Amino acid sequence: MSAPRRFNRVLIANRGEIALRIQRACRALGLETVAVHSEADAESRHVRQADIALCIGPAPAARSYLDADALLLAARATGASAIHPGYGFLSENADFADAVEAAGLTFIGPTGASIRMMGDKITAKRAMRDAGVPCVPGSDGPLPAEMDAVHALAAQIGFPVIVKASGGGGGRGMRVVWNAEELGEAVTLTAKEAQQAFGNPTLYLERFMQKPRHIEIQVLCDTHGTALWLGARDCSLQRRHQKVLEEAPAPGIPPDIIAEIGERCAEACRRIFYRGAGTFEFLYEDGIFAFIEMNTRVQVEHPITEATTGIDIVAAQLQIAQGEKLAIRQQDVATHGHAIECRINAEDPLSFMPSPGRITRWDLPGGPGVRIDTHVTAGYTVQPYYDSLIGKIIAHGTTRQEAIARLRVALAEMQVEGVSTNIPLHRDVLADPHFQEGGVDIHYLERWLADRTTP
Amino acid sequence: MTATPPLLPDLSTLPNVEEIGQITTWLAEAGLAAMELANGAGGKLRIAVAPAPAQVATPQPAAPIATAPETVTATAPFFGRLALHHPLRQDPFAPVGSTVCKGDTIALLTIDSLQLPVTAPADGTVVEILAQEDALIGYGAPILTIGA
Repeated sequence: MSAPRRFNRVLIANRGEIALRIQRACRALGLETVAVHSEADAESRHVRQADIALCIGPAPAARSYLDADALLLAARATGASAIHPGYGFLSENADFADAVEAAGLTFIGPTGASIRMMGDKITAKRAMRDAGVPCVPGSDGPLPAEMDAVHALAAQIGFPVIVKASGGGGGRGMRVVWNAEELGEAVTLTAKEAQQAFGNPTLYLERFMQKPRHIEIQVLCDTHGTALWLGARDCSLQRRHQKVLEEAPAPGIPPDIIAEIGERCAEACRRIFYRGAGTFEFLYEDGIFAFIEMNTRVQVEHPITEATTGIDIVAAQLQIAQGEKLAIRQQDVATHGHAIECRINAEDPLSFMPSPGRITRWDLPGGPGVRIDTHVTAGYTVQPYYDSLIGKIIAHGTTRQEAIARLRVALAEMQVEGVSTNIPLHRDVLADPHFQEGGVDIHYLERWLADRTTP
Repeated sequence: MTATPPLLPDLSTLPNVEEIGQITTWLAEAGLAAMELANGAGGKLRIAVAPAPAQVATPQPAAPIATAPETVTATAPFFGRLALHHPLRQDPFAPVGSTVCKGDTIALLTIDSLQLPVTAPADGTVVEILAQEDALIGYGAPILTIGA
């Protein structure tokens, strides 16, 4: 730390557990924090512990956490010279990243240009293909306007195909087409929806993988040409495209295959001058990886990679933003043991309805290999305005079996009253023989839930 | 219902819990308190949403105003450094005991060269100043109280 720092005070433009996680990393590096918050989050843990706390607006996110102008003014008013966007909210908003840098502040994340390139699925896929990252067979660009040409393309790719909006993501703006008869209507409808939802009717086409797993590669890149991959995560347990439980490494996939994909991801980062943390998401089926999208931010599930690699990803984000060189090389990155994360949501474990309210009891588990990331304390009120994530339990073990055993003990110890949580769901999933075997596909949880509720 | 694609559930059966959840969200967004669904068979479902909490939390606990129930508190419409005086004048905008009319400027919030007026929420007399001159105050922070 001989060179002068670019910033000493970081504005955390987020809330909940990730805001607290960022604050911890700032503290560990001797950086001051500014917690900007909505009125609804005034009593939140990271707000109370911040060096400077500032309420920037009312509860609705559009007037607080999504208000770019207010965030920039808050940085001015508090003397913060860097902004960490966390995940969600403005974290993948290229215009915001540009505005932060235009204001002379440091955006703790990639450049606006990188975010923009990865935000558009067609340009992202093209960049990945050019860098040798495997992609699912598809149209390799916007769909032609003539329906005959679309039909020819789909026949060439092979049914079933999936029609996707270029501006979409996270499961929105897509439609599966099983045969040629359905194609015309699917294209028309998806284009219309894409126009309405994303303001961009551009579509593309890909082969629809039927039983894939969701495998992702974490990367970390400094501004001196070093790009590292930190292993793989398996996030196949999803409900409505929302991840429920994640693990690292991906069970049953040989390390040399992961290493090959990881190296291609790192190479792609070098080619596009990517900086900071990022994640390449893939579908994986029958030994084939197919790039879906890149997330240009820290992810909810980053702790499982921290557990297996021993690398503090959020601290690394801050150091990279300071202009420092990564202190480790690829050969220093190893995967130790196995880690699993359960996302704890305030929701009904059967209906998945959000369950806001005051938490009256909050007994947390502990023991070897157990990590809890949460902003919640006893007496905390879960607000109805934001997502229902109230914490994450991460268990690390020498083997997957040990991680599962530790997680099951942790979930049994955890006692929450006042709101409903999905802890019972996690307990059931961990007891499921197919999950214990490892390697279930992305539809497994929804099938399992459907079977459970059908008499 | 024939012209409307399945925005609302088919009322031959009761909506499921998730559908009811979606409907309550729509109701809340539309500012409606309740709705009733009925079908030809005489089935009825009334969905009511609890009124939104008026003020969930104030950034800093306001000074107790227990003895003056008829006062109105002027709160910060944005955040910034509080100026109770006009920067170019000696006298404060609204000292204790002064008479203000709704809409009068009673303070300024400043961020660098940016200045935002804080206006009186009601007619009356200034009873108490609750915030410190030049303090950085957040959205919704109480600034002063006005009595009838």
